[in-house]
Amino acid sequence: MVKNDGGQLYTIEGFAAALIMIITAYLVVNATSVYTAGDTHINDMQLEALGSDALRVMDIPVSKDEHSMLQTIIEDNDIGVNNLTFGTTFSSLINNQTESGRDHIQFTTNVSYYNITKGSVDSYLLNYTRNLRGGEHSVRATKWVIVNKELPGDGVTGPLNRAVLVEVLLWRD
Amino acid sequence: MTDDSGVLSIDFIVGFTIFLIAFIWVLSMIPGLLIGLQAYTIDYDAVAYRTGVMLVEDPGEQVVAYPYYPWQSYGDLEKEKVIRFGLAVSRDTPNILSQDKVNRFFCVTISDPDAGFGYPKDYKDRLIFGDYRFNISLLDKGQTLSAGDVLPVNMSYGNIRRIVKIKSNSNATIDYPYMANHSYIDNVDNVSTHVFSIHINNSKLLGEVIDPAYQIDPSREQMTINITDLEQLQPGVTVNLTAIKICTIVKNPPSATCSPLTSNNSYPYVDGSDTRIPMPATVNENISLRFDTQYFNDRISAGAGDIFIVIKFDLSESRPQFLNNTQVLPDFNNMDAETTFFNPRTGIANPNSTPFDYNYHPDNVTQPLLRDAILEVAVW
Amino acid sequence: MARLNDDAQWIILMGFIVSFSFFFLALVINQSTIVGQTTAESVIEFPKNDIRDVRDAIGKSMKISSGSEYVRSDIRNISMIRKSAVVSYANSSTTNPSIIWIHYNNGVTEYNETWTKF
Repeated sequence: MVKNDGGQLYTIEGFAAALIMIITAYLVVNATSVYTAGDTHINDMQLEALGSDALRVMDIPVSKDEHSMLQTIIEDNDIGVNNLTFGTTFSSLINNQTESGRDHIQFTTNVSYYNITKGSVDSYLLNYTRNLRGGEHSVRATKWVIVNKELPGDGVTGPLNRAVLVEVLLWRD
Repeated sequence: MTDDSGVLSIDFIVGFTIFLIAFIWVLSMIPGLLIGLQAYTIDYDAVAYRTGVMLVEDPGEQVVAYPYYPWQSYGDLEKEKVIRFGLAVSRDTPNILSQDKVNRFFCVTISDPDAGFGYPKDYKDRLIFGDYRFNISLLDKGQTLSAGDVLPVNMSYGNIRRIVKIKSNSNATIDYPYMANHSYIDNVDNVSTHVFSIHINNSKLLGEVIDPAYQIDPSREQMTINITDLEQLQPGVTVNLTAIKICTIVKNPPSATCSPLTSNNSYPYVDGSDTRIPMPATVNENISLRFDTQYFNDRISAGAGDIFIVIKFDLSESRPQFLNNTQVLPDFNNMDAETTFFNPRTGIANPNSTPFDYNYHPDNVTQPLLRDAILEVAVW
Repeated sequence: MARLNDDAQWIILMGFIVSFSFFFLALVINQSTIVGQTTAESVIEFPKNDIRDVRDAIGKSMKISSGSEYVRSDIRNISMIRKSAVVSYANSSTTNPSIIWIHYNNGVTEYNETWTKF
């Protein structure tokens, strides 16, 4: 007797089609990812606003005819010395909150100046809370300060009126 | 010949069933693809950022119409004249907030104790510009001022934190050590009527210091003048604060007028009272003069470069040493500012009148100082 | 030989149609995530604080009596290297600034300003 296996065709085709669809679905779902790009930028924006605000507030003299705190710190600080006044003031400004408790924002601060003799921009460390670890994402806030200071490479003895850029890298713990 | 017997082979059914099951399962995976997309989520952080910028970097806006009062001086009945809130002293001084604007915004202390902005509609129309719930908090001198709802505990919300400086108002305190260092109590005129005047030279105040962060501006900021230690000055004498007059001198065109103080918003606070006391009043210890900024604004807008506050004390006995620094001509009721103080046409001043000068000298006036504060805005 | 039996081809065809439409959907979704910019990104991109800061620094430098040329070269060089921005400014008189021109360009945003009084 002849076995009637003509209908096996349908079964096989059905299997094949199912297999194709499932493999496709698997590939596609693995390829597209859930995109949460907006979140990191919000945090960056908040940190940048905080850092800029704190630097600006530190550069406003308390009363007229005085120098601002930031100008005094940079003028009096020797290059390469870790300035604790800056550290405590800046840290309390950015970490205080209206509700109780403190925020945990770490920072590291550099001062950039123009070395006239070398013709390049150098920078020195002013203060840091801790070192930035690899993988931590940080935001930069800057402030121009006009100081009367003798900077390396200016070729003149005695202080000059110069512009320096204070750069702070901020990140949340 | 078409087969219309309606008989399907088992193999066909099996194959088709397998296909269908796989098809339905794959279809159910599609929503998983779309998880990454969300249409039109409200970006609360953006609203909070915008609100923060408006409060900290913008001075606010009011209707542009004479006499151009700043928004914080409008009382409850004129709330509609305030178009937008903003706490900055001026557009050129971002991150420096004005004490008067902070007080008015948080409704803590204002000229009219009944005035205030209604929550939430007034704030939504003038600051939030949307139907969001909000909380605005200011940490200043260890105290937190707050406007809006309580922060939600279980929900996420958009927020921003700004660091600011608050410019305090200037004030002058005339106390016994000050009086002893000046010639007021050496005045040997043995009279029972003593007239004390205070000179607010508006053109000099605005011209000497231009930076709005440190400027004393009588038409925009509230000034306070305290006269204290009166009991120590003349023990045993009853002091009657009879009248206060305000004299304005305009240089161009030259004119001088004096008018008595009759407005309810300008009477002084006597002996630490909570309300303004109309005159005449008996004074034991001190007087506090706190003028409505609109009051000065009116006069300065009319061109007054110099404003004199003239206070008349009547003592129960004649005494030589009290607060007498003004030679009133011809008499108090018909006081003529030109002869009493100076003539705007000629510039000649009366040498017998030495009014207290409200100026930038720290011995006379406590200058506006800037102090740190933190502002947080939350929107949800 | 007998024709191949292609009766059930339509099942495979349905399978392929579903697969291809699935791929197309994935492609469209993937492309959509690249389009658009959140508000936070545009806030960070616009150099509001940089421009304000440079204006303030230039204003302060106009008020100091000596050495403003050092300040000018400082601002120009440090802006270029550290901030990737071109900043140039000039004033009409060195002793009593009556007009100041400021130019700022960081590649994305350009800013020009003329002051008649500082």
